[in-house]
Amino acid sequence: MERITLAHGDGGELAHKLITDVFVSTFRNERHAKFDAATFALGTHELAVTTDSFVIKPIFFPGGNIGKLAVAGTINDLAVVGAIPKVLTCSFIIEEGFPIRHLKTVVQSMAEEAKKTNVAIVAGDTKVVERGSADGLYINTTGIGIISHPLERNMDEGDSVIVSGSVGDHGVAVLVARGELGLVSTIESDCTSLYLLVAKALEASQRIRLMRDPTRGGLATTLVEICEDFGVTIELEEECIPVKKEVKGACELLGFDPLYLANEGKVVMIVPKEDEQAVLDALRSQPEGKDAAVIGTVRATNKGQLLLRTPLGTTRRLYRLTGLMLPRIC
Amino acid sequence: MQKAVNITVKGRVQGVGFRPFIFALAKRYNVKGIVQNNMDGVFIHIEGDAYAVDQFIHSLPVEAPRLSCIDEMIVTAAQWQACNDFSIIPSERTGSSSLVIPIDTAVCNDCLREMYDPNDHRYRYPFINCTQCGPRYTIIEQLPYDRPFTSMYSFPMCKRCNEEYNDPMNRRHHAQPIACPACGPSIMLRNRDGKMVQGDAIEQARAYIQAGAIVAIKGLGGYHLACDATNERAVQQLRMRKQRPNRPLAVMAASVDIVEQLCDVTEEEKQLLTSPEAPIVVVKQRKNTMIASLVAPGLQTVGVMLPYTPLHHLLLDDQLPVIVMTSANRSGAPIIYEDERAFCDLQNIADYFLVHNRPIVHPLDDSVVQIENGNTHFIRRARGFVPDPLWTKQDVHEIVALGGQQKNVFAFGRHQQIFLGPHIGDLEHVEVIEHFEREYEHLRTWMGVTPKIIAVDLHPNYETWNIAKQWDADIVAVQHHHAHMVSCMEENHISTSCFGLILDGTGYGEDGHIWGFELLYGNALQYERIGHLTYTPLPGGERCAKEPWRTTVGMLGYYLGEEGYALAQQRFIERARDVDVLRQMIEKGLHSPLAGTCGRLFDAVSAFLYVCTHSTYDGEAAIRLSELIDDTKIYEAYPFNVERRETWEIDLKEMWRAIIRDVDDGVQTNTVAGRFHETVVQASVEMVRLALQQHPTYERNIVLSGGSMHNRYIVKRLRQEFSQLGFNVYTHQKVPCNDGGLALGQLMIAAHRRGQACV
Ligand SMILES: [Fe+3]
Ligand SMILES: [Mg+2]
Ligand SMILES: [Zn+2]
Ligand SMILES: [Zn+2]
Repeated sequence: MERITLAHGDGGELAHKLITDVFVSTFRNERHAKFDAATFALGTHELAVTTDSFVIKPIFFPGGNIGKLAVAGTINDLAVVGAIPKVLTCSFIIEEGFPIRHLKTVVQSMAEEAKKTNVAIVAGDTKVVERGSADGLYINTTGIGIISHPLERNMDEGDSVIVSGSVGDHGVAVLVARGELGLVSTIESDCTSLYLLVAKALEASQRIRLMRDPTRGGLATTLVEICEDFGVTIELEEECIPVKKEVKGACELLGFDPLYLANEGKVVMIVPKEDEQAVLDALRSQPEGKDAAVIGTVRATNKGQLLLRTPLGTTRRLYRLTGLMLPRIC
Repeated sequence: MQKAVNITVKGRVQGVGFRPFIFALAKRYNVKGIVQNNMDGVFIHIEGDAYAVDQFIHSLPVEAPRLSCIDEMIVTAAQWQACNDFSIIPSERTGSSSLVIPIDTAVCNDCLREMYDPNDHRYRYPFINCTQCGPRYTIIEQLPYDRPFTSMYSFPMCKRCNEEYNDPMNRRHHAQPIACPACGPSIMLRNRDGKMVQGDAIEQARAYIQAGAIVAIKGLGGYHLACDATNERAVQQLRMRKQRPNRPLAVMAASVDIVEQLCDVTEEEKQLLTSPEAPIVVVKQRKNTMIASLVAPGLQTVGVMLPYTPLHHLLLDDQLPVIVMTSANRSGAPIIYEDERAFCDLQNIADYFLVHNRPIVHPLDDSVVQIENGNTHFIRRARGFVPDPLWTKQDVHEIVALGGQQKNVFAFGRHQQIFLGPHIGDLEHVEVIEHFEREYEHLRTWMGVTPKIIAVDLHPNYETWNIAKQWDADIVAVQHHHAHMVSCMEENHISTSCFGLILDGTGYGEDGHIWGFELLYGNALQYERIGHLTYTPLPGGERCAKEPWRTTVGMLGYYLGEEGYALAQQRFIERARDVDVLRQMIEKGLHSPLAGTCGRLFDAVSAFLYVCTHSTYDGEAAIRLSELIDDTKIYEAYPFNVERRETWEIDLKEMWRAIIRDVDDGVQTNTVAGRFHETVVQASVEMVRLALQQHPTYERNIVLSGGSMHNRYIVKRLRQEFSQLGFNVYTHQKVPCNDGGLALGQLMIAAHRRGQACV
């Protein structure tokens, strides 16, 4: 019997298959989910809605906690479809025995994070489950926003791919915070709300094609999805992708690729070449975007492949994160 | 007394002047009959005086044309047919399916003689060739093999060449690449800016090489990078510019005499060097020769070849007796063969470009072989051998096998012929995948075969899956080591069940773990796994292949626990903290796949002994470890255990304890390495002995395959030991034991599975 494995939840190849096979085929929504939030019209308003559950371990980590993550994550999903985040709901599943003191800290961070973007938390729910039925605290958030900048969504050969900062910070910070690996690092999660940053970019260019926040599965998986969903080929320059030295070091030791590690405060954008500099300047004017960089180019508009140019001058094709990374060298 | 026989000759016997040769032979012995090409090769019927017939049979293999290669010659008694004369009759089955693609061969002695004759009009002409030598596969655009369909089409023949071409008595009759200084291709020397260097291109290139420059040379199947092999600084330059710190570089020596001065070569090795295929032969280097130590650092052997194009002959002489000749490519990318690409990609590597204007249509690397126990042992099967087919008893029509991930070679079947493609390389790179698709499509079109079944490796992350899924055909997934085993069975014509000892790098196992030290029993349809090396973790997964010290940590920790990790920290003192992290990864099961492979075992020992803790090329750690030992000796094995778990398992805890003790006691690294080698042999033999006890009725045939079988000591000793156990021992001779031979096994397995489905 086929059963759910942890790899079904990592945002990679298996997760993609699960969503396609179980959900998309059953819910039969013609508007295949290519974006971080769904957009729809209600009366005269163009709206965006998204929902997300947060199950991070540990609940507190350098640079944030599950509450901040839940609010920022939902705000980001709205922001990257060109929406102004307006309201949030949240739902808590709490394990019996969870310290109320911790819960207060989490809720406090949620309030603070929401305030930064002027988002109202308007409804909520709590459920308590028996000890052992859940691991501490899970949070679900749903967010609604109003579309202010409908994105073009049509890419052209020569368009630039921009990332707002270094990749892999969150993934490594959480691994270190678990304390299981004996890894020592001062790296902090990049967990933050990106609405204000995105708004700056949208002001700078009216023609941003597409934005995504590369969370689970990392930058590579997110870009693979874009390539496949829109039938474009993107070529990344490995040397241009910002990766912090400490993240690189940890990845080398663990045998991970930073391009597949989760980010919680980064946005990747596809913009026309002519607007590249304006968008970069706008991003770099904000603290969350100070390391923004052009990392690649849209190549052909039909193959649907993500390619990576290595410093040695060869090209590798990148795929979604796969749960199993088994050696292929014979 | 009168006699009539039928003779079937299989092998490379078509398109090499075989039928005219037979015709001449029949005339000489005054026998009557016919000769004909058919799907099996060449069919001959002769009848006449019994003595003359026997003479004919005797002379045939001895005098066969230079380019022919007889795999099998079957002589059977035949009915007397009262033929009036001897005649060449048309092919039995014509059409595209019986077309042969000729191979590229080294320039012949007749041509060389002309080239060095000041009175000949092809004096010093670097593109001289004839029906028995020169470029073929590498210049063919389309079949049939005819000048207009080759890259020679843009060189109209002059009157003189045309006459030779059309004269049936001329040795250039229908030599498609025929050319002379008046009508054929020409060479030139360019500098980095693309400017032509004045003067004789070859003389100038030689002078620059002598002065220490690096020259890119356009050859038969692609570009080489050349420099003076006796100039340590030039070799160092080349290594730096190419970013190849340690990988051994091949050399080209002016003559056999020079090779003999530099290396200890046997008669068999000399024969290989001077054969029309002219491969790189890996031979033992003499001590203190003029070859720069950086050519093959840390190795006793060196890959050497002789000049195989007229251009090479003109370049090398007493003044420049030996040069480095390494194929020009970016690390991991296919060999460069297009002029523009060469000029662009080699800008920062080559100082000069010795080029010509005959386009290369199909890139082809140099073949690499070594002699082991008197047999040819392929490390890479390419120029001179591709695309010669192998013959099989099984119907393999319309089956294609996509090979492995690295050292990729594909294969496809046409009736009872198997075509192995050229060495493609590491499919990790998009450039290599494109190279695969291009070469595959060409060969497929030439053969006129549309595949119905595609065989691929079981490994879910091999690139071959993505290639296979694009095509409309049934996919058969084949376990990696089963494919290695059947590959070796097939080339030795074994079809009934036998043992297979596969010592390999890493391959995906049916249980989801990494296999590579396997004792299998079975045939092309099925196999059982009888035994293997105990699994140990590879912390960091694929990274272990580049960083063998990781594998050491995994093994020491697995076998010796706390004590093992502590020891690993001592051994890799500068990595002490990292060892801790690796330990946590292993204990948490994070990115630490389990593996029992011979390649990684060699790595682990190599790193522990500080022979190589970081590999800069494929298998460096294992190769350098094996180069430390004296393969004429027999070492004493360390203790080990073979235990009955789900299958037989080799447990090396005792070996590790003994190695650690020896290192503590200051025993020489060579001795430890030697004893380790013998342990691998003895553990394998013990596993087989136990398997025989358990299954006394099993056939005593054993095939040896997998990348670790390149190790001369291991193969030699296994052959001795298994023979003593009463086994017939079989090794590879026609395809590499590494993943370059994988496709052959995959193809045969797919063919048998198709057979099964029909029943
Ligand atoms: Fe293999
Ligand atoms: Mg999300
Ligand atoms: Zn010739
Ligand atoms: Zn001519």
